[in-house]
Amino acid sequence: MARKIGRREFFKTGAQAGLTLALGRKLAAAPIGRPATGVDAAATGVAVGTGADFGKAAVKAVDLLGGMGRFVKKGARVALLPNVQSRHPGTYTKPEVLRAVIKLCRDAGAADIDCLSWLTVKHWEDAGLKAVIDEEQAGLKLFEKDEALFKAVAVPGAKALPEARILTAFYEYDAFINMPVTKDHAGNKFTGTLKNLMGLNSPVNNRTFHRPNWKTDPDDVAHLEQCIVDLNKAVKPDLNVVDATEFIITNGPFGPGELLKPRKVVAGTDRVAVDAYCAGLWGLVAAEIVQIRLGAEQGLGEIDLKKAGVKEAAA
Amino acid sequence: MRSLAVLALAGCLVMSCAPDRAAPRKGSLLDLLPKGEAAGWARDGAPEEYEGEALYIYINGGAEIYHEYGFRRVVLQDYESPPGGSVSLEIFEMGTPEAAYGMFTFKRSGKGRTVPLGNGSELESYYLNFWKGRHLVTLTGFDEEPATAEGLLAIGKAVEARIRDSGAEPGLVKALPAQGLKPGSVKYLRGLLGLNSFYPFPTARGLLFDQGVGGAYESGETLIILEYGSAGKSEAARDGLSGFLSGSDKFAEEDVESAGIRAFRDAKGRAVCLAGSGTRLLVAVGPERADCLDLIGRAR
Repeated sequence: MARKIGRREFFKTGAQAGLTLALGRKLAAAPIGRPATGVDAAATGVAVGTGADFGKAAVKAVDLLGGMGRFVKKGARVALLPNVQSRHPGTYTKPEVLRAVIKLCRDAGAADIDCLSWLTVKHWEDAGLKAVIDEEQAGLKLFEKDEALFKAVAVPGAKALPEARILTAFYEYDAFINMPVTKDHAGNKFTGTLKNLMGLNSPVNNRTFHRPNWKTDPDDVAHLEQCIVDLNKAVKPDLNVVDATEFIITNGPFGPGELLKPRKVVAGTDRVAVDAYCAGLWGLVAAEIVQIRLGAEQGLGEIDLKKAGVKEAAA
Repeated sequence: MRSLAVLALAGCLVMSCAPDRAAPRKGSLLDLLPKGEAAGWARDGAPEEYEGEALYIYINGGAEIYHEYGFRRVVLQDYESPPGGSVSLEIFEMGTPEAAYGMFTFKRSGKGRTVPLGNGSELESYYLNFWKGRHLVTLTGFDEEPATAEGLLAIGKAVEARIRDSGAEPGLVKALPAQGLKPGSVKYLRGLLGLNSFYPFPTARGLLFDQGVGGAYESGETLIILEYGSAGKSEAARDGLSGFLSGSDKFAEEDVESAGIRAFRDAKGRAVCLAGSGTRLLVAVGPERADCLDLIGRAR
């Protein structure tokens, strides 16, 4: 059964068949799948807000893109995907950034604003994001790691991942805002917009990104990177708002690790360009991050920031 | 209860996977949690435990490196102080002291300071890592206030007193020439993930070593020493790796006069020199080939 605490909902299956069936009927009436392309990336580029007030930095970044109204229409249902992987400093999306995005969505006329996750409520509480969600009267929809709650989505142009398994409830929303924190990763070296989408994909499917002998064959690390890129072919955020205010540059993605504090929030529709910018914040070369390079080569976005365009402003 | 659910799931997962080491498990990690010895700090909430593959539940998307070193189980406990301070304690039990040391070297940044805890430690601005015996202890504060740093040390000392076993750095660490070595940069290696933290080899050929160690030098070079257990395996590893690099368009081979040494230039213009040394393969990476060869000469 679904138990509600405030506007938080926790979805299960099995003994909770009633809820699952109800969800299934709703989906049956909905269009089959959200389109894999959202707002046209043209004329957006990378927008960066900088300042000690992280909320204002987020607002500035979105304003530089033309405002949230470009991405969220009146009456829209909006899904948000912050990163709450760990509560160690610099490993999760800052509450101030989430609060700003929720307010921007509301000001744009969103009817519903929900964070989606298959992690636990403790993750959200520990990161301070649940408090923000409650205070801003947004929704937190938590899902068990049950395959019945995910739906198969064919990956167009797949090279390694022919089929993703995305949270079924995701397809009930009109707009999707991807909200990672950029940081170090022991395997991939970098985490940003591309990798964050694994938070929508089923944990079982995510595990297939790692081949059985991934520890001993770099070709299998390349397989992991290609799977991340393929996943991004199946789902395209309408907007990415990346927390680059404070993040770990060692011992990622879980931390604790050495903190870098650029005090920036980075927004854009082009995931490759946004990730390329974020990688540069800590001295990484985007073309050397396999997932960014493959994403560019396979048409997900522009790796050359001069071509993508970067707008920066103090908040 | 979340803790009970986690334990149940952990049990199911562990039953389906063989542990990488067969060392007996003695006692509960719960016994290592301070119960009041750290003045001013009290337990906050219930502890959590994860074992074997269940680590993926706790560290979603980052557990692989722990398993590469030989993870056994972990216990978590939060502590709080009356003024509002908060510290998270993680005690990882690894398969061997060498594995605990290795994970410690992987997690430290090398920029913190050593404190008298365990067999090795590093205190950084808001967190503390130390290892003792088969245990790696990580304490994380949630601010950089002096009181929090004091809490990290107080709780750390209390944990240390409860850990009975002890350990020593693997002997291979001594194979790194001491002159010019940055002590905090030393990492003990058990697999490719750790190795890639030094240099992202685009191949596994020749790199399936038994154990390894790497370190950075003040002069700008990095030296990696990989142990294979026999001269034959070491020689085969050198041939396998150099053969791959020779055929790669990302590396250009260069002539060297030193016998048994292969030298390359990578896409970033760095010299990459390979040399066998008994049961070991030495890899030096740096701006200048001559300096890399000198470092190899000192390590041989």
